[in-house]
Amino acid sequence: MLSPYGLEIVESCLTCKLRAERIFCDLPNSALQAFENIKYATAYPKGAVLFVEGQSPRGIFVLCKGRVKMSICSTDGKTLILKIAEPGEVLGLSATVSGKPYELTAETIDPCQVNFVKREDFLRFLKEHGDACFRVAEQLSEKYNNACHEVRSLGLSHSAAEKLAKLLLEWSSRNGEATKQEPRLKLALTHEEIAQMIGTSRETVTRLFAELKKRQIVQSKGSTLFIRNKGALRLMAGA
Amino acid sequence: MLMESAIQLSCFDCALRPARVFCDLPADALEAFDAIKTIALYPRGTTLFNEGRPARGVFMLCDGRAKLTVCSGNGRRLTLRIAGPGEMLGLSAAVSGTPYEVTAEMLDNSQVAFVRRKDMLHFLRVHRDACLQVVHLLSQDLHTAYDRVRAIGLVRTRHPAAAKEAI
Repeated sequence: MLSPYGLEIVESCLTCKLRAERIFCDLPNSALQAFENIKYATAYPKGAVLFVEGQSPRGIFVLCKGRVKMSICSTDGKTLILKIAEPGEVLGLSATVSGKPYELTAETIDPCQVNFVKREDFLRFLKEHGDACFRVAEQLSEKYNNACHEVRSLGLSHSAAEKLAKLLLEWSSRNGEATKQEPRLKLALTHEEIAQMIGTSRETVTRLFAELKKRQIVQSKGSTLFIRNKGALRLMAGA
Repeated sequence: MLMESAIQLSCFDCALRPARVFCDLPADALEAFDAIKTIALYPRGTTLFNEGRPARGVFMLCDGRAKLTVCSGNGRRLTLRIAGPGEMLGLSAAVSGTPYEVTAEMLDNSQVAFVRRKDMLHFLRVHRDACLQVVHLLSQDLHTAYDRVRAIGLVRTRHPAAAKEAI
C-alpha cells in the first residue's frame, strides 16, 4: 500500500523484511503478534512533529522508515539537535516508561512510517512479554550511551572546530565507510541544523566548512561530502 | 554510612528495600539476586570502573554516593552526576555490552553489591519483574543525562567561564 508521501507502508511487522536487523523488532512471533494488535501504523510527511519536549507522554513511536530529528530547546528559543533517529529506533521510550514528559522534540526530516503504541497498551505489553522488556532495556542503554557521548562532546570539546570534526568523523564511520581511506557521507542537514547539533552558530559552521575545503581536508559534490584527509580531521577532533 | 561490622549480606534484611526502585522485587527474584551478587565495602576514593573499559557487571550502591564522570582525550574531566544509595551503576553498559560510558568513583565509604554481567543478563531474562525495574532505572538515568545535555549544550556564551559555572 502506498501512502500519499510516496512511502510503501509495511502493514504487518510479521512480514517486514527488515525485522531481523532491528533490536526492538526482532521479537518472537508471539510477542510480535501481540504488538501488532496494539500498534497504529501511520505515515508522516517531512517536517511533521511527532511529539514536543515537555508534552505528557501519549505513547511510543517505532520508526519504521525515514529519519527523525531529536532536539531540545531552551526557554529563550535556542535549539540543540541531539541526534538523528534512524529506522528501528523507538522514540519517546523513556518518557512513556517513566510517565515523565517527553524530554525531546521529534520532527521528521524525511517522509516516515511510524508505528504508534498508546502508553497504557505498551506498559501492559512489556509486563506480559519479557523479551520485549529486554529489548527496551537494550534500546534505553543505547540512548544513554549516546547521551553520555553528547555530554562529553559538548562539555569537554574546546572549540566548534573540534566538535564539527568529531561529528564528521562519526558520520563518516557509518554505512560501511569507516575503513575507507576517503570516506564519504551524505549531508542530510543544513548548516543551521549542524550548528544546532554542535551548539554553535550557522555562520561558524559555514566558515568552518569553507576552511576545511580550503585546506583540502574535505571536498563536496552536491550534498555528498568526501573526507580527503582523515588524519587532519582526527587531529582537529583532538583524537 | 555503614560501619565495617554492619555489612548486610542479604537483601531480605535490608530495611531500605521498599524505598528503592530495583530492590523492591518479589521474594523469588530477590532470592535469585542474593545468590548472584557479591558484597564488598569500598573506601572513599575507590574507582568502581573506568570509562571505556569493557563492562564486567553492575554495581548496586547499597549506601553512600559515587561520582560519575566523563573524560576528554586530553584528560579534562566533567562530572555527569552524583549517584546515590539504591542506584545501579554500569547498568546500560552491562545490558548493551558496550564499554562503560562513565568512570565511577566512591565519594563515601560504602557497601556495594556487584553482579557479573553474564549473571545479570540471565537474571533479567528469567525475572520479568526485575527486567521491568531495570527499564525504569534506565529511563531515569536517561532523563538525568538529557538534563545534563540541556544544561551544558544550551548555555551559549562568549565567556567560557560562565558556561562552566552553569555546568
